Amino acid sequence: MLAWPPALSAVAGELGEPGPEPGLPGRPGSGTLPVLPALRELLPRGGLARGSVVSVAEFGLLALALVAGASADGAWCGIAGVPEAGVLAAAGLGLDPERTLLVPDPGEGWPQVVGSLLDGCELVVLRPPAQAPAQVRQRLEATLRRRRGVLLVTGDWPGAQVRLRVITQGWTGLGDGHGRLRACCAEVMADGRGEAALTRTRWLWLPAEDGSIAAADPADVPIADILAPEPGRVLRAVSGG
Amino acid sequence: MNTIQPEAARIMVVCCPQLCGLADTRAGAQMFDQVLAAVTRFCPGVEAVEPGICAFGARGPARYFGGETALARKIIAAVADIGLEPRVGVADGLFAARLAAQGKGQVRVIPPGGSAEFLARHPVSVLAEQDLAGLLNRLGLRTLGDLAALPFGDVAGRFGAAGEAAHRLASGHGFLPLAVRPPAEDLSVIQEFDPPEALAEPVVFAAKALAERMHEGLAARGLSCVRVQVRAVWADGRESRRLWRHDGFLSAAAVADRVRWQLDGAPLAAEDGEPGTGGIAVLRLVPDQVVRATGHQLALWGEAVVSDRVARAAMRVQAMLGHESVLRPVPDGGRNVDEQVTHVPFGEKREPRRAVAQPWPGRIMGAAPGVVYPYGREAEVTDDEGRSVTVTGRCVISGEPAHLVIDGEPMRHVTGWAGPWPLSERWWDPVAARRRARFQLLTVDGRAWLAAVQDGRWLIEAGYW
Repeated sequence: MLAWPPALSAVAGELGEPGPEPGLPGRPGSGTLPVLPALRELLPRGGLARGSVVSVAEFGLLALALVAGASADGAWCGIAGVPEAGVLAAAGLGLDPERTLLVPDPGEGWPQVVGSLLDGCELVVLRPPAQAPAQVRQRLEATLRRRRGVLLVTGDWPGAQVRLRVITQGWTGLGDGHGRLRACCAEVMADGRGEAALTRTRWLWLPAEDGSIAAADPADVPIADILAPEPGRVLRAVSGG
Repeated sequence: MNTIQPEAARIMVVCCPQLCGLADTRAGAQMFDQVLAAVTRFCPGVEAVEPGICAFGARGPARYFGGETALARKIIAAVADIGLEPRVGVADGLFAARLAAQGKGQVRVIPPGGSAEFLARHPVSVLAEQDLAGLLNRLGLRTLGDLAALPFGDVAGRFGAAGEAAHRLASGHGFLPLAVRPPAEDLSVIQEFDPPEALAEPVVFAAKALAERMHEGLAARGLSCVRVQVRAVWADGRESRRLWRHDGFLSAAAVADRVRWQLDGAPLAAEDGEPGTGGIAVLRLVPDQVVRATGHQLALWGEAVVSDRVARAAMRVQAMLGHESVLRPVPDGGRNVDEQVTHVPFGEKREPRRAVAQPWPGRIMGAAPGVVYPYGREAEVTDDEGRSVTVTGRCVISGEPAHLVIDGEPMRHVTGWAGPWPLSERWWDPVAARRRARFQLLTVDGRAWLAAVQDGRWLIEAGYW
């Protein structure tokens, strides 16, 4: 790389430190980004609070579902560090691929990458490639508050306002050598800090047979179906979750 | 990951230095017409670039005539018969090929992939945009190599569409990513002359207005044109058709110039014929290849409007990590989960490569997996007795899957499974052909997996959670 001529360094400086952005898109004054109806009850304000970090224990449909509602509502969404994001499944839930930016490998400079993405996207999904030092986390959280965006971290993030995890899940439709996956019933737990401190758990179809996300009535949960063909087995906690 | 790579098209440029000076004269234009006719004998798809210079895709003809150098020699011999001394350049992309043809030596072949290195030594003044070249020079960027070494995003951010184009040219990527395509609808414009116009100047004048009309039609659809076909029909039925290509957008004035060059080169109107039959009756401009007009504003993206805010953010990340680090997903057709989304670098045209609406028999129906591995993860699937589960050519399995070990992770018990669903793809192409048997597996931890057996190996392609 050649040394930057002075005139361009000035340009680069401009690019690197954008000033405060007036007039973010979206409904002014609204403090949350919308989520799919089935997920509202899990979140203290019925949506993703702007300027906050939400963590999901592991990347998967739950993380994609949390993003889909805001994306369908017009928000730009960045996904960093998750090369295996199932965009098709997310699109089925409402994510608009046209308003999605993927950065599969943000590399060592991932905090800067996420900072840049937060300048353009209201919602950024991040799986940090490495454990983030407290200083890095605080800097990102400051950017987040300034930009009024939402950072959805998959994995552990000590400062997260809301933490979600799938504690149990079971698929229906698959037998021994026959059938195909139809629907998945999952128990999702949410807790966190402050107003989210109260632990909430909900049963969800994640996804239902039509591909959507819907609340599942515990009475309707087809335990027998999920448990087949081993009648004695109970639903197990998801490892690593 | 299905990242679309811009195809490195091999372009051969034939340059007749003697004609470049006098092409605006009738004699020069007619000679150039003979050159085009001579080159067309080797390759039908010859495109005129400007007087004295024509180009064509070299891959097919070179294969037929025994290599690029051999083809170049044959063309030089054929053009020499007209009494000219052409120079030939071959490289990836028109820009590099043209510089190669204008350099020293009769034939200059820049090997595939070598265009960037070849271009790096040239001064920025070879860029068509002289204003930009002057500015770059003042900033201390003297060669194309200097320009190419700067991060794409920064150049695009500072110098806009012109800088973006210059950076692409300097890096040997060609002027446009890969968005060039024939237009989906007829966007051509026609001007009829009644009575037929015998003089060239009024036709050229009309051509400029016509070109402006064509541009308006394209702009209304968010398109720009990089190759235009000019068709002129004389009252006596003679017709002249020629493709004009430009490394950049063809402005109305540029189109009018090309009409003039083409008419100058056409055989003389039948001066000895009946009065009124010699003039031009119809002039038609056909935008033959169009691209999304990115215009001056990044916000004008065509599909979803990319606001400046998003574009700046994405380009800043591209500046840090490279052009292909920021991708936009495009739902695509295909039978395999990893094909059903194509990733297009930010700033290039989002376009599915396969038909999405087609039924794609053999694709797994039902819920889409939330986790799709870009590359299948190595796995072992064994039956109750610990023997590896195999699938025969007739899709008979050796035993029921009972255990799953992925990539060295702890063993999982399989509690349900379905398959094998065979898939034989592209059997007509020995390189792309693959035969796989796919399974859905359910493991004791409540997870479900999409697995495939290919050449006796198990791969986990996706996870349903």
